[in-house]
Amino acid sequence: MIKAEPKSILNFIAVYFDVIRDLFDTQTNEGIIRKETLAIMLDKHRKDIKSQLIEYKIIRPVNDDFELRDVYHKLIEFVLFEFRPMLPEEIEKFGFSISELFRKIKEGISGDKNILLEWLNSISTEIKSFSDSVEKNSIRLLSETRDLKANVNRIDYKEKIVKASFWIQYYIKPLNTILDVNHSESISNKLVDISQYANQRQLNFDDEAVRKSFQKLYYLLRQTNDDLLKQSKILTNELLPLIERIRTENLILTGWIEFLKRPYKISTPQLLKTDTDKPYSSKIYLNTKEYFEQFTLAEEVIIEEETEQVQRWIYKKAHYKKKLIEKLPLENFFDWCNEELKDEENEITTEKVFALTGLLFEEDLKIGFSDKGEIIKIKTATSNLNVPKLIVKRNAVS
Amino acid sequence: MQYPKNHRQIVGELMNGRFILSRENHFEELKQNEQEFYSPFFQKSFGHKLIITQEYAYLVSEDTDENISRDISIFFAIFCYELDKHGKNFLDGLQYSEYSFEEVNSYFENSSFLDLIHTNKQLKDIDARRRLLFTTMKNRNIIEKTSEDKFNFTPAYKVFNVFAEELGKTRTEKNIQPND
Repeated sequence: MIKAEPKSILNFIAVYFDVIRDLFDTQTNEGIIRKETLAIMLDKHRKDIKSQLIEYKIIRPVNDDFELRDVYHKLIEFVLFEFRPMLPEEIEKFGFSISELFRKIKEGISGDKNILLEWLNSISTEIKSFSDSVEKNSIRLLSETRDLKANVNRIDYKEKIVKASFWIQYYIKPLNTILDVNHSESISNKLVDISQYANQRQLNFDDEAVRKSFQKLYYLLRQTNDDLLKQSKILTNELLPLIERIRTENLILTGWIEFLKRPYKISTPQLLKTDTDKPYSSKIYLNTKEYFEQFTLAEEVIIEEETEQVQRWIYKKAHYKKKLIEKLPLENFFDWCNEELKDEENEITTEKVFALTGLLFEEDLKIGFSDKGEIIKIKTATSNLNVPKLIVKRNAVS
Repeated sequence: MQYPKNHRQIVGELMNGRFILSRENHFEELKQNEQEFYSPFFQKSFGHKLIITQEYAYLVSEDTDENISRDISIFFAIFCYELDKHGKNFLDGLQYSEYSFEEVNSYFENSSFLDLIHTNKQLKDIDARRRLLFTTMKNRNIIEKTSEDKFNFTPAYKVFNVFAEELGKTRTEKNIQPND
């Protein structure tokens, strides 16, 4: 008996949902919530709610440890849409109970009405549970398979094959058999039989309550059959091809890696040898070229670096300025440049002339133009420069 | 005697080692006349075996072109391995993607199989790889160019994937055998 109000329990779940979610994850991964783990979790969330968790019957003690009660586990599973994959054997049990109840209904159709109504209620409950289980399993399997396909966990390709084969062998193919309406022993096939029977009885039964119950069962089965068909389509159209593709892809990759270990020792696919080219064939030129290119030895190219040292000209500003000042006053600056550079052994280049021009910006020099506006020519290695005749004097201020 | 329509084209292409694809017009002609005419024709005239699948047709001979087959196999092996290594789905890639030569080349330049690449005449450098793709594989209809530098694979790549899958199966079976 729970003393607390239902609203208080639901409110408690809402307020402490993060804690409960952690408990749910732990139980899903480890199968149980160890007392140490519970203590760590409550400490992590700074919530001292252990007594309420027990009082509201959310967890129950198992020896010294705890577990989420089934009803809460299913609730959290449902709201998080994180279902545990169910083995087909767990789903098949619904098939047995449904078959057994159906047999009792048929045998007791003329018997006690009350027990008939109970059986009809029970079979509806089992059918709903069966349909829910199939749906939850499809959702989970699809999510597992997509994760595997995208390789979310970055697992090795061999492990991927093993996982894909595992899902196919133990989950997907047996589930497909359960849902295969063409399989005489499948649960879906049984549901079709029950649906036909319920359809007849909803129209043809003396007692109104039983008739209505058959009607309810019939509508439930119509809906269930539609749902199962949808799940079956997901399996056959999406899940099986997806997982087969993972398996194929990984087999191919395994094959290629195997081949790359001994690429010249494994026989490769047969291809036609096209050695029957006639000289007039349209492809003779390219094929011959391609053939000879295979044997072309690339010539070794050796690049020899020039060993001759080129003496670089260095602009020694102080040196040139000193010489310029010695010559002041100067009637024609560029003439002087020309003479200076000529005196040196190297050729006159534009770069050298421009470097010397920098001297004109010195503060202790005064620059003037010739009244006639004369232009003189200087010939460098690469250009003919037209420059003005500039007069240089010592700056009186400096 | 009445020859099938496109006979000359069919024989010319197959004898040049080219794959004829199901989407090409003359494939249907070849398929319709496979049993009656083409299979015995190639067998008796040249000793070649005609293979037709749902998606392509090609000839094989006893005296197979081992070098080209090996070079193309090494190409696909490294390419698939590199695509997978870069987190790409190589089956989807081979089937649906368009590639630029530059992209393919970069997979080879940065591959961990550089030793093998450098010792293979058809893969050793950028020019060799371009020739393998745009001459050898294009002539055989294993790729089709979509622009100057881009191409996609035709379904003929599946010949090589089937080969790898068989190798993979043998390898996996070996692995699960007890006492191995």
